[in-house]
Amino acid sequence: MNAIEINNLTYCYPGCERPTLKNITVSIEKGDFLAIVGNNGCGKSTFCKTLNGLIPQFISGDFQGSVVACGLDTQEADVGTLARKVGYVYQDFENQIIRPTVLDDASYACLNYAMPDYVQRGMTALEQCGLSGKKDDFIWQLSGGQAHLLALAGALALGPDVLILDEPIAQLDPRHADTIYDLLREFNEKHGKTIIVIEHHTEYIADYCKHVMLLRDGELAWVLPAHEALTRVDELQASSIFPPQATIAAHRMKKLGALDEKTPLPITVEEGAQVFKLRENAPGPAKTESRASLLEAASFHDVQVSYRSVKGEPHVVFKNLNLTINKGDKVALIGSNGAGKSTLMKMMVGLLKPQKGDVKLGGESIRDVKPEALSRRISMVYQNPEDMFIKDSIGGDIAYAMEVRKVEGSAARTDELLERFRLTELRERDGRLLSGGQMRRASLAIGVALNPGILLLDEPTANLDIATRKEIMRTLEDMKDITETAVIATHDMQLVCEWAERIIVLCGGEVVADGTRDEIFGNADVIKKVGIRSPEIFSLGQAIDKDALCYTIDEFLERFEGRTNA
Amino acid sequence: MASNKMQQANQSQKLMIFVLTMALYGLATLFTELIPKFQVGIVEFSVEFFLFIPLTLAMLFDPMSAALGAATGELVFSEIMLGQFGGLGEIEKFVTVTIGVYVAGRLVADPKNRKLVGVAAFAGTALQLLLGTIVDILKVQFAIEDFEAVAGLPESVFFTEGFAFVNDLLFSGILFALLPTLFLVPRLHGKIEPLLGMAPRSEKISLGKLSAKAVLGCVIAFAVAIAAEFLAENGMAIIDWEADWAESGTAMAVAMLVAAIASVGVVLAMRTKGTKAAQKGV
Amino acid sequence: MKAVEKLSESIFDKLSIDFLRNQVLKNAYGNNDTVIAGLDPRILLVWYLFFGIVPWFVSDVTFLLGCFVLVAVTTLMAHVAGLILFLFGLGVFTQTGYLLIVTLLFGGDATAVAPLLVLTLKVATVSLASVTVFSGMDPDKLANGLMWYGCPERLSFSISYAYRMLPILMEEFQNILLSYRLRGNPPEHETLMGKIKYLIYQLKVIIHSFYPLMLNTAKRSRTTVEVLEIKGYRYAAINKDVKKIKLASLQVTNNDLLFLSLSFLWVAVTVLLSTLI
Repeated sequence: MNAIEINNLTYCYPGCERPTLKNITVSIEKGDFLAIVGNNGCGKSTFCKTLNGLIPQFISGDFQGSVVACGLDTQEADVGTLARKVGYVYQDFENQIIRPTVLDDASYACLNYAMPDYVQRGMTALEQCGLSGKKDDFIWQLSGGQAHLLALAGALALGPDVLILDEPIAQLDPRHADTIYDLLREFNEKHGKTIIVIEHHTEYIADYCKHVMLLRDGELAWVLPAHEALTRVDELQASSIFPPQATIAAHRMKKLGALDEKTPLPITVEEGAQVFKLRENAPGPAKTESRASLLEAASFHDVQVSYRSVKGEPHVVFKNLNLTINKGDKVALIGSNGAGKSTLMKMMVGLLKPQKGDVKLGGESIRDVKPEALSRRISMVYQNPEDMFIKDSIGGDIAYAMEVRKVEGSAARTDELLERFRLTELRERDGRLLSGGQMRRASLAIGVALNPGILLLDEPTANLDIATRKEIMRTLEDMKDITETAVIATHDMQLVCEWAERIIVLCGGEVVADGTRDEIFGNADVIKKVGIRSPEIFSLGQAIDKDALCYTIDEFLERFEGRTNA
Repeated sequence: MASNKMQQANQSQKLMIFVLTMALYGLATLFTELIPKFQVGIVEFSVEFFLFIPLTLAMLFDPMSAALGAATGELVFSEIMLGQFGGLGEIEKFVTVTIGVYVAGRLVADPKNRKLVGVAAFAGTALQLLLGTIVDILKVQFAIEDFEAVAGLPESVFFTEGFAFVNDLLFSGILFALLPTLFLVPRLHGKIEPLLGMAPRSEKISLGKLSAKAVLGCVIAFAVAIAAEFLAENGMAIIDWEADWAESGTAMAVAMLVAAIASVGVVLAMRTKGTKAAQKGV
Repeated sequence: MKAVEKLSESIFDKLSIDFLRNQVLKNAYGNNDTVIAGLDPRILLVWYLFFGIVPWFVSDVTFLLGCFVLVAVTTLMAHVAGLILFLFGLGVFTQTGYLLIVTLLFGGDATAVAPLLVLTLKVATVSLASVTVFSGMDPDKLANGLMWYGCPERLSFSISYAYRMLPILMEEFQNILLSYRLRGNPPEHETLMGKIKYLIYQLKVIIHSFYPLMLNTAKRSRTTVEVLEIKGYRYAAINKDVKKIKLASLQVTNNDLLFLSLSFLWVAVTVLLSTLI
């Protein structure tokens, strides 16, 4: 039996000219683990909302064709009945959590549908998601990963046969991402649930999914088994989806003639290790060298910081932090959530004063300096770009800091920045209404407007699809010339490897490692202790040759070639 | 079937506006509640009104949902969450805010018309303040025994209340309602509606003129608010039993006993209800 | 003029948003393990009905003092955040204290002051009773209690939702203000003129920051309302069984009865005292 059956579905949002979904006919088998891929705006989320009846019952619009989910026609059955068959986890999952405490939220839907055993159901769902220890916590005490698990538990509590997750791991650090997918696999294999994810992290698709569905401009391109789908490299790239790095490496190797045409493309590290081997005349690993000078840009001296907590003792973030960042450093700050990355940045811009110790910028203590007085020397770009937009147009936002300081030639500089970040056409638009990548570029332009000597970036690539992420990485690479010193706090190891010249690893309020990428990624102990997920291509290189330190596909291709007998 | 669907969509949009206004205005009033009020001379300047938030939203969306959302937001965030709940008397604030915001929202047929937006914002605030002032004066008049007999008191009350009204209208009305609304409405118009999946309000899809029914509703609601105020603070003034009471201690003890017995009665009723429910469950 | 200075200093600096946020959170979430928080909301509401209404009817000073002491003790038991108590003091003053001064200014004498003092005591008692109940109780419990008494479903939903959203909204607001702080250029505020300008600047910033906040919150509420639909909120609002199940969790314990009878005892003693005096 099929979990979902769709016939000639065409849907158009109210007030829209063109239909978002066009003539889709597809059936999804019960027990499938399906990934939906496609470029931005191709109708992935819209498609998923037709499956639980939100479209057309809650969001009106022009709906043609039919959708049958678990035997229920979504136009006939009411949303409540459908919700018990099809669970949905939003991309902005934190808005999906409605009740103040954890168990309450997990059992909320069951209560609303008058199930007498609602607490039990909520509890079971929490146990399945590994949150049972947190049942009495307040929502705001949860980390991002835990909040996502709770949103999942809330959907799960109703006992749906189909689970839909919209970009489940976009906001999570790698460890939590693995947890979520392991859970989904368990639901799929043990409990026979049909799982549908919108996903562009193809390495996860390769590891976990059974089928892949490609949407192209609202039309169904194909549904294929995952292995076959991921090896259609050209088609995927045309929809700005990047297959796993192992696949791309093999694909490029074939084009170069270094790999036999008949060899099936690998999609995981394990498969890749069977396909590639070390070149005989491989060059020795290239050493990365820091270009930083020895002039001090910022430094921390015996810093102690703690936060007031709502209950009980203050929460200590740093006990005794000593750290110096030099002029010209391109630092990546890594470590799990709560390791103190944001706190460190807030201290540098003067928003947070340490209880003990001193923070210096250019050798001068900033204890008695107001943050607004520092803004020409140091600037911070938030993780959430929406918080950076305070004016009604991005042109206005970029100019704001310069105008209130009466900087000469601010209009010219605004034009220049708009041009540089490819925003000139968008200058009158409101930042919040732009696409993810445009928003991010605008926030970067705002950050560098005053030409600060030090630029701090909090998670500049979070919540972006891979294509946009690449674009932002290129922008960051360009920006290396205009900002002297830059610090990026991030979970994105690809960004770390390709951009950073110095990596600082924070763990439990201490600097546990500090060095070049070779020193950090080559150090298995640190990697394990902090829970870093190396880029796939790096892991692939290491799986074949322990001494290999390849951070990009180009580097990989220089060192490895295809096995002749693979 | 089709009309039914339209109705549903409407319901959900109303809920969205309600939630949005409640969260925003609630947050704002929570902060004003926390900022110490200060006085210059005899008059209290209170930066009390973030009224521009519901005013703006009422002009852009369904006025009734925005008005109710604002009143609920204030009640919930600043009164209940902070424990500043003033009992039945809060009904007064609830009703005056609802009426003020609703009327202002209904006045604006097209948010692009800046003049109309300004007039509506000012009128809404003035209405809300006026209703509040009327209630305030009545309140003091009834709360203090022999109000007229106390030398200087009536004059001082009328004077301070009158001055506060004019002052609030000039400060809150212009600075915190008129100007911010004029700033926000044109900027948000056409931008915020798509975020909620709605079509922007325009001349074509305006809500029609303020009907007599709506006006009547406002008047009745205001009457209820005044009544609630009296019940909350001046029950004795209406029923006039207070004088007999305070004179004899035994009478008071009896009254207390009655109150205590009443509450014990409620407790008992609750317990039996609980056991009954439990029995039913078995 | 001192007041202007004070306010101008306080909004951003001494009473930083961070401090306010911490106090509000402490008040809303930090005291859910006190005796008061453990009581049944229905009992507390009955208790509040008494101490919130009866003092208005009575002018006997002994009785009012007795009630005041009781509600002061319960307020302490509820571990109410310091800022709230400060606001309580301020609130009492602004409600009647200033009338006192004005009456004296307009030629009133001691006869005018006495009723005002009694009024002040009434206001204080009633306010503290409400601080005990509404600050001391977990808002979610309060919502259930109100629902038991037949309050509209929309209100109890609003309370729970506010309880859940408050920290997030505050953080968002704080972030936007931080953006202004980091990129803005506030006027120098050493002189008096500067301070007034600074105050105006701050007010302007707060008003302007609602523009981004409105848009950001609008984005959120759309998802929230969709989820409410999926999670059966509308279904529950019209279903009587749901209400029954929800309220089944409320239970009157010995603690509640003890609390009631102790309060009753204290009031009886006060009444006795007042008749004796």
